[in-house]
Amino acid sequence: MADWIRACAAGDIDEEDLVRWDHQGRTYAIYRACDGFYCTDGLCTHRDEHLDAGLLMGHVIECPLHQGRFDIRSGEAVSPPPCVGLKTYPVKTEHGQVLVKV
Amino acid sequence: MSRQVTDGLRGSASRNGEDRLWMGRGATPRREHLRESVITNAASTGVRIDRKRLKDLARRSDRPGLRYLALWAFALLAAGMLVWAALDTFLVWPAMFLLGVVTSVPAYSLSHETAHGTAFRTRWLNETVFWFTSLLYGEEPLHRRYTHTNHHTYTWYVGLDSQMPFDTPLDFEGWLYDVSGLSIHRFQLRVLWQLATKRYTALMREVSPESELPKMTRNARLFGLVYLGVGGLIAAGITWPLWFYVLPRLLGGPIMLMFNLIQHAEMQENSPSILESTRTFRTNWVGRFLYLNMNHHVEHHLYPQVPFYSLPRLHEAVADQTPKPDPGFWRTNLDLLSVVVRRSLGRSTRGAWIRQAPHMVTAGGAYERIAKATMQ
Repeated sequence: MADWIRACAAGDIDEEDLVRWDHQGRTYAIYRACDGFYCTDGLCTHRDEHLDAGLLMGHVIECPLHQGRFDIRSGEAVSPPPCVGLKTYPVKTEHGQVLVKV
Repeated sequence: MSRQVTDGLRGSASRNGEDRLWMGRGATPRREHLRESVITNAASTGVRIDRKRLKDLARRSDRPGLRYLALWAFALLAAGMLVWAALDTFLVWPAMFLLGVVTSVPAYSLSHETAHGTAFRTRWLNETVFWFTSLLYGEEPLHRRYTHTNHHTYTWYVGLDSQMPFDTPLDFEGWLYDVSGLSIHRFQLRVLWQLATKRYTALMREVSPESELPKMTRNARLFGLVYLGVGGLIAAGITWPLWFYVLPRLLGGPIMLMFNLIQHAEMQENSPSILESTRTFRTNWVGRFLYLNMNHHVEHHLYPQVPFYSLPRLHEAVADQTPKPDPGFWRTNLDLLSVVVRRSLGRSTRGAWIRQAPHMVTAGGAYERIAKATMQ
């Protein structure tokens, strides 16, 4: 059974931005979109580039390396080169903290 | 002019480009190791920029691209009117050259920028402009996108970079083949034919997602039909496409190719540092307009997610970590031409103004081929 893990403070992430979060040997990306927080795997499925230097536009994260794009709500790869989607994780906020269920 | 070159390449010429990933003598043979370990960008170069500043520079907008399209349309209209006014006089040739420059360079530049997906914030707008400018440029858009993606991943790595347009070191024969347009037109026709007939090369399969190959074939067939249609009109005696597109494109193409030639010529192969493999050069406002600020080529390779309209600001942001730009478009090209002529004559290859990799500068004599072009 997955647990809710505190990842960061909500204020650590600017609006329409993301941060990298490393936990138990894995790396994730936590996003602050216009309608709330989201979490996906941190590495682009194309060339394993971390998405934390990428650009978040609405609900789309663009990989900084080759500009492949994913929908952060579903993890779907919406623009190649990546063709495989990102795994997504449930997120909630409590008392100003971002919790991720991994 | 004597050609003193030792071909140091291993491998054999291919039937259809399948073996065009070569390994020159200047390269380490551990290609598979390189493929896994090298990604040429700011990180591999050791250039850093504040994260928030980078995010700000990478931010997208439709407005600069739309403004550019309007200005480009105006420039095309103006140059087209000059051609129309000069028809039946000898002045039609310089007018067509002007129209060709105004067509070729922005078509290339927009096709490149939209291949990155950075020209517009609105994706469909980006993809529409990508398709039409690639049609003007002459390369199937998705092939262009994926081979260019590969070029960014392995910038100027022998045996890995899929967009090396000429053999290195560049000599006069190679310069002439490139700048005349013979090389690129042959390459574009080959790619179009291979995609249209589903004769995908190993390189195409390697750099493109498999699911994209049918789309590439569809695009190539559509492009082929358009080009055949243009040829058919001319053959039927309707000559305006000849005066307003075909001849201008052929005449103005060399200027576009000269912009591209100096991106990496005389620079270091097989270096993880973009500063060593890539050149930024100065140019005036006309050049910056035509080339969408891509004279800031080092900066573009460091951070390809930054759109064209933010490249001057990116240049300022990393100026203390990057080499001084080479001189203007003409001086850089003239110096390069001087170097390649002297290389072919067996004389000293030290340039007067341009940056060169140490091994490119010799006292003269024979030289050894390091990389075979992957775009011929």
